[in-house]
Amino acid sequence: MDRTIKRPRSRMQRLEGRAAYVLIFPSLVGLSLITYIPLIAVFVLAFFSWKGFGPITFVGIDNYVRLFTRDPYFYDSVKATVYYALLAVIGSMIWSLIIALMLNRRIPARGFFRAAFYLPYVLPAMAVYLGWSWLYDYNHGLFNYLSTQLGLGRIMFLDSARLVIPSLALIAVWLSGNLIVIYLAGLQNVPRTYYEAAEIDGANAWQRFWKITIPFMTPIIFYNLLMSLVTNLQVVTPALALTNGGPGNSTTFLSFLLYRSAFINSRMGYACAIAEVFFVLIAVFTGILFATSRRWIFYMGDERE
Amino acid sequence: MNNPSAVTGALKSRRRREAVFNGLTFALLVILTLLVIFPIYWIFRSSLMTNAELYAYPPALVPPEWRWGNFPATLEQFPFWTYLRNTFTIILPSVLGATITATMSGYAFARLRFRGKKFLFALCVGSMLLPTMVTLVPLYLAWNKILGLGGTYWPLILPHFCGGGAFNIFLIRQFVKMVPRELDEAATIDGCGPYRILFSILLPNIKSAMIVVALLKFIELWNDLLQQVVYINKQEDFTIVLGLSLFKGALKSDWSKIMAATCMAFVPGIIFYLLGQNYFVEGIVMTGIKD
Repeated sequence: MDRTIKRPRSRMQRLEGRAAYVLIFPSLVGLSLITYIPLIAVFVLAFFSWKGFGPITFVGIDNYVRLFTRDPYFYDSVKATVYYALLAVIGSMIWSLIIALMLNRRIPARGFFRAAFYLPYVLPAMAVYLGWSWLYDYNHGLFNYLSTQLGLGRIMFLDSARLVIPSLALIAVWLSGNLIVIYLAGLQNVPRTYYEAAEIDGANAWQRFWKITIPFMTPIIFYNLLMSLVTNLQVVTPALALTNGGPGNSTTFLSFLLYRSAFINSRMGYACAIAEVFFVLIAVFTGILFATSRRWIFYMGDERE
Repeated sequence: MNNPSAVTGALKSRRRREAVFNGLTFALLVILTLLVIFPIYWIFRSSLMTNAELYAYPPALVPPEWRWGNFPATLEQFPFWTYLRNTFTIILPSVLGATITATMSGYAFARLRFRGKKFLFALCVGSMLLPTMVTLVPLYLAWNKILGLGGTYWPLILPHFCGGGAFNIFLIRQFVKMVPRELDEAATIDGCGPYRILFSILLPNIKSAMIVVALLKFIELWNDLLQQVVYINKQEDFTIVLGLSLFKGALKSDWSKIMAATCMAFVPGIIFYLLGQNYFVEGIVMTGIKD
């Protein structure tokens, strides 16, 4: 109905509008040229066969057909990606929430502890994986020394298809310091009055945790879950830095398969088909998360949109 | 509970219980912190030992001799300073670009009225969930085939001058929203336009947010491997992480030197973090992710 009453826009408003477009111009370029247009380009390129040079041929849905029916790596790759992401997400979500809860108590040297748990996050990923590969080393690694001391014998942390993904997920948990800091921020926003009221009513610590802390934290938990899921489904660094997709093809994550198709095998169209599947996979996971979020996210005063 | 002494008694025992609980938490935290720091210590300790010492059984917790000479010896094969310079050639302009453009957009989204604002903001939010992996190939092709900038640092730097990422725009927007609107209004009455307001009223108030954006961007780029692997192909252009990968490939299992190189790669990040620590925490606490 606003449209019918056309008010002349004031000079101030016009100035404001113009300034706004100038200020968001870089973002507009970013959103169009490096986000949404490439997203459309992926759809288009997936119908072509191209080495990145030479002739481009239209192949219809051949890339998809090949991916789903003939690619020996594809299904293992989806499995590895989802398996890794689930382990890494669940592990780091639980670990970081527990640490944040502990850090939220009135204890000395909190700043020091917080810094220590965040520290791994500021180390370059390549160096982290290199360092951990030494810890995981079969012959001389620290973990194998400990496991033999514990009577478990030597363990092939990175050299067995069965253990490599859990071993890498453990590194992801170690790197989850950013989640801890975000949780801590959330915990500090839980109104103290609720705890006081609950205590007067005789609620014990356990009840207070489940009835106050967790409900208030659900938006933060959702945020962390979402971000950590999107990040971990995109896992590629450990494969690039350390495993090169192996042993066998146990760590040929979807991102790595995409990378290899495009930049090692020079199959640009095929890589785009993989990117499509990857896009859908992430959309499905985040979609599920959003769909269920209404049931478990608690908003203050139930102010849902 | 009507008896006052019973109430104080209950309070006292509750306090005592809490003190015990806090003590236990503290002890557990000490143990967990040691566990988290231990891998870093182990890597460091390994960088100060010879391979023979590393292969000894049982492994020594502390190096039998602190061989600092390992570092200069490693530097002979691992041109750390060149790599560091290359890395910063990419990171510094990127961080600057991201911080400036994110501040511009964040301010516009927080304060200014313009047509299509909601739609653009939705696009921005949507881009947060779009995996960078998905658009990797078309972007690579565009940089190489259309712009002909393959083999340069531009593809690694220029994208950061385009808004600095949705999360950072959010963060700035959130901070701007916390600055009282009365300040802007007073300035408007005094005849200030949107740019003047941004520069003289808001910038001093959101300085810490900008530092947070810069630090987060620094860490993001510092952690990146994929983009560098894709866009850098000449050895003289290698960054620390690519150099590390090359070094590992060349030395195979000379763990003593590899760990020394790894330690060197750790240092700049740690220094930056220690310098900016307070900003980080403050920034993340104040982002108000709840919005």
